[in-house]
Amino acid sequence: MSISAFGEWLYATSVSTELREVTWIIPNIQTFHILAIAVVIGSALVTELRFAGVLATDRPAADVLRRYLPWMKVALIVLLLTGLILVVAEPARTLGNTIFWTKMALVAGASLVTLKARKSILQNDGVTEGENPPEASKALGWLMILIWCAIIFCGRFIAYT
Amino acid sequence: MSLESVLQQVNDLSISSAIRENVNAFPILESLHVLGLAIVFGTILIVDLRLFGVAAHRPSAKRLTAELLPYTWVAFVMVAITGLLMFMSNPVSYANNTQFLLKLVIIAVAGLNMVWFHSTTYRRIAEWDEDMPPPIAARVSGAVSFILWVTVIFLGRWIGFTLETLFF
Repeated sequence: MSISAFGEWLYATSVSTELREVTWIIPNIQTFHILAIAVVIGSALVTELRFAGVLATDRPAADVLRRYLPWMKVALIVLLLTGLILVVAEPARTLGNTIFWTKMALVAGASLVTLKARKSILQNDGVTEGENPPEASKALGWLMILIWCAIIFCGRFIAYT
Repeated sequence: MSLESVLQQVNDLSISSAIRENVNAFPILESLHVLGLAIVFGTILIVDLRLFGVAAHRPSAKRLTAELLPYTWVAFVMVAITGLLMFMSNPVSYANNTQFLLKLVIIAVAGLNMVWFHSTTYRRIAEWDEDMPPPIAARVSGAVSFILWVTVIFLGRWIGFTLETLFF
């Protein structure tokens, strides 16, 4: 089955129809989606700026990451679930949309870097404790902030394409 | 001059019609608005939770506030500017939108809560800077701020579904 055929099938399901017809569901789901975006952005901003050597440089990078990683995990799960509901409600607007898939790729990449690569810092924090992260980690910090910004732009532009 | 005619004059400004007529202007403004509010709410949330008694990345509440507040303010200015530009593109509709008016009121109340906190409990912060849990006044202020900002985001999203978009 092609993606567009799947989208048409999904659109015709009673769940999808219900989500579109009960007018208060989508605005409230989107509100939770934005609240979760704010949690990710707030946590990522502090964590990545710490890696970039801008913020909280007197605190070990591993401590800062350890503090905000669970928040990011929970928020990412909320984003996934609320996002899934939005896709079910409007499959044509999302599944057949290049910007939507660009956003998904960026989210997957950013989440993977946050949950795996950054987490490896926690494993050897006996060595890095109190020290400044290496230069590569600094550059990655700035790149991650840019990626999260790009994700927000993609998200808003999905509604206009 | 009536409010109605002022709104109409804002509507007729060249910048207002430019935002209406450029297909990319509104989504770009919205994206910057969402990015800004995510930084505003994200950083305020860290401080609110700390005031409520949830540990942040450093023990000192005073240093945490001083460290994050500049980011909150810069982002808030961006949110205010992009919000004003979106308002200008359709002032009559926004002025008649309940969610929009309520949102402005709640933002003002959140501001008053902040002023109240900074002129009372925050003045004695040296006495409770690293205390866990913080004093009851700080906990109340953090909880009130959290509820108000969540309401602001909720109302903001509802504007997009209730605004009469009659451009001409």
